Amino acid sequence: MSLIDLMSMAKPNIETRDKILARLSGKELVNCFQCIKCTSGCTALKLLELKPHEIIKLVNLGFVDELPSSDIIWTCVTCLKCVQRCPQKASPYHVIIALRNLAVEKEAKVPEGYLKAVSQILETGQVETYQKIVTRKMETVDRECLKLPKINPPKQSFQAVFMKAMEEKKA
Amino acid sequence: MARVGVYVCHCGLNIAGVVDVEKVAEYAKTLPGVVVTKHYTYMCSEPGQRMIQDDIKAKKLDRIVIATCSPRMHEETFRRAVAEAGLNPYLTEIVNLREQVSWAHIHEPGKATEKAKALVRMGVARARLLEPLEKHRVSVEKSVLVVGGGIAGIQASLDLANAGFPVYLVEKAPSIGGRMAQLDKTFPTLDCSACILTPKMVEVTKHPNITMLTNAEVTDVKGFVGNYEASILKKPRYVDEKRCVGCELCTKVCPVKVPDKFNENLAETRAISIYSAHAAPKIATINPDHCLRLKHDKGVCGKCQEACEAKAINFEQQPETIQVKVGGVVLAVGSEVFNALEMAELGYGRFKNVVSNIEFERISDASGPTGGKILSPKDGKTPRTIAFIQCVGSRDKRFHEYCCRVGCMVTLKQAILAREKVHENVRIYVCYIDMRAFGKGYDEFYRRARDMDIDFVAGLPSEIHATSDGSLYFDVYDKGTNKLLQIHADLVVLGTGLVPNKNLADVSALFHASRSADGFLLEAHPKLKPLESAMAGVFLAGACQGPKDIPDTVAQASGAAAKAMDLLSQGEIELEPLKAIVDEDLCSGCKICAPICPFLAIEMKTDIVDGKERPRAEVIEAVCQGCGLCSSTCPTGAIKIQQYSNKQVMTQVEAALAETCAEGGK
Repeated sequence: MSLIDLMSMAKPNIETRDKILARLSGKELVNCFQCIKCTSGCTALKLLELKPHEIIKLVNLGFVDELPSSDIIWTCVTCLKCVQRCPQKASPYHVIIALRNLAVEKEAKVPEGYLKAVSQILETGQVETYQKIVTRKMETVDRECLKLPKINPPKQSFQAVFMKAMEEKKA
Repeated sequence: MARVGVYVCHCGLNIAGVVDVEKVAEYAKTLPGVVVTKHYTYMCSEPGQRMIQDDIKAKKLDRIVIATCSPRMHEETFRRAVAEAGLNPYLTEIVNLREQVSWAHIHEPGKATEKAKALVRMGVARARLLEPLEKHRVSVEKSVLVVGGGIAGIQASLDLANAGFPVYLVEKAPSIGGRMAQLDKTFPTLDCSACILTPKMVEVTKHPNITMLTNAEVTDVKGFVGNYEASILKKPRYVDEKRCVGCELCTKVCPVKVPDKFNENLAETRAISIYSAHAAPKIATINPDHCLRLKHDKGVCGKCQEACEAKAINFEQQPETIQVKVGGVVLAVGSEVFNALEMAELGYGRFKNVVSNIEFERISDASGPTGGKILSPKDGKTPRTIAFIQCVGSRDKRFHEYCCRVGCMVTLKQAILAREKVHENVRIYVCYIDMRAFGKGYDEFYRRARDMDIDFVAGLPSEIHATSDGSLYFDVYDKGTNKLLQIHADLVVLGTGLVPNKNLADVSALFHASRSADGFLLEAHPKLKPLESAMAGVFLAGACQGPKDIPDTVAQASGAAAKAMDLLSQGEIELEPLKAIVDEDLCSGCKICAPICPFLAIEMKTDIVDGKERPRAEVIEAVCQGCGLCSSTCPTGAIKIQQYSNKQVMTQVEAALAETCAEGGK
């Protein structure tokens, strides 16, 4: 191989890189000239170890081995600012989503919150569990107190459809 | 007694922001001879000019002092305005309050105002002694000398010839075409360079108004704008130009192998050869440094002479000097490519697989040494990794401080060509500082390169190494990923920039066209006169004025041709009257002035007075540029420059010192 990262002695993984590019349907979304606007405006920048422009560049160069197994790709809050404002219509967001999917496929460690969200949907049909809230008068109330209709758990068929869609995506 | 009007210009806030213009105008009123003083926002504007014209008529002014920007900027404007009002235009004096006062002393407004007053005082003192002068008209030669047969010279020649002006096109090499002929494709359209250049070359050779002189050099230039006389040395080809049919039978039999200059010495040609596949004229030339017959004696070799069916070989051919009379000159002598040997850290010259971008052009060109296949020069194999390194010799204070303007686009083009020509698996890296893709369609071209899986590394390597098996590698820190990368490459292409020709100093001396700090020829004004040199009638086209790509070169060449037509189309031109004149009674004929004149404008004449020979100097008015060297050298004070006589200058000096002395006495 003609390229080595001397800081970690890593080599490009062209196979994985091509998998990522396939998920992105080509190079359009990683066609970046490093103006670094995405990183300048990134909502989650302070929590990120790698910056959006770095992630794109790493994919371009093929240094992708560490990416799916790292925590970095899960910190993105998917605000889409980078996509909206990129002068070259590249998208760090799409790259991160592709990396997340690859991580799942590789059965890499997925942060708990994400797994919880999935089981939550399966069980309740909701992304968030309904919670009790505190009103301005400092009273704790729930849906029942507010006389809101009760939310029923999803029908059995929903779970089947959900799982089927997941399977199809994987394939 | 002269009646002087003084006009102080604000130049917006350029002058008024520093100098107290009101005070200066007020002060000017106290000076002897001053009748009117005014100050105004923009003196050069239409109402400003009208103000002066009205005063000339109403107040019968006969001397005008304008305190404004540099005379290089608006002296002509104001002279014209004054002439329109019926006054001799040379009775105008410009005082420079902008470049020499407000811009120079921006943080010292008080002192700047005092300096402005002193300069106005000097201007008024001088203005009172100005004399009316008349412009002279001289007829011009309606033909043009174009020096250099690259794309700039070709374009300028064709434009001039099509407009009906006879053109002498002089090219140093045995064929016209220049650098562009060496290129494979052109950015950003990937047009084949030869396909778009060759028809123009053929047009030049066939055009009835163009006299094409190849293998020739200009050796001497005399005369002045509109009436230049040039000597052109036509070096012998040792081949009869009229007989040679370009069949190349001679090349096939010639036993002497010679490095091929057209192919950047990557291939060999013979001592008798045709310059390139697309050469125009397609005539063989013998290289006298290598030909056995020419180097030794008559008995040796002579195989080409035997082989030539057209009987065109002539070992007795002599150099020939041709004299031409032309009205104007277009300098289109082009540029060279930076010699990467100077930058030792990149290993050019030490490693065969490190090549310059012009060498890569030849490697990629179908008529080049590899037949258009991209192969490493060292082993002739297809490279699996190609690395391009940018800004070699440019943007580098050790070599050339300027940006070469073409390097980024050349590399993008070559990277795209490599991607298209070499198999898909080749890795291509471009190490750069900034990617400058500024022209029409250029940034789109950059995007296209990124789409073709070419990797851009934001950083330059410090040095190139070779492993024991000869393969190359280098370390480069990428700003994009904050990683130190190591790249192993089979072929390293250096993005060498354009640099001034080695003999540009000679060209500059020959045509009195000065050079800028970067070594290229200097335009008369960087914004408003980009096509002219400071020497009247000498125009600039192409990369000899500064690094340029093909579109810019062609545009400038057409522009320079239009400028030459503008100069010559009337058949006569006006000459400035600010020249040296000799007082015959005072001239002692000492001859000191003649060799000092940089323009060779002084001739020694001999009169017969009372039966005795009496030498005296005479100024050829049309050649004189009014520089004043002769005047300050003349021991008897016989030579004066119109409008800069001793009296005029000394009065100005006295005015400068007048108030300083008074203050000193206080």
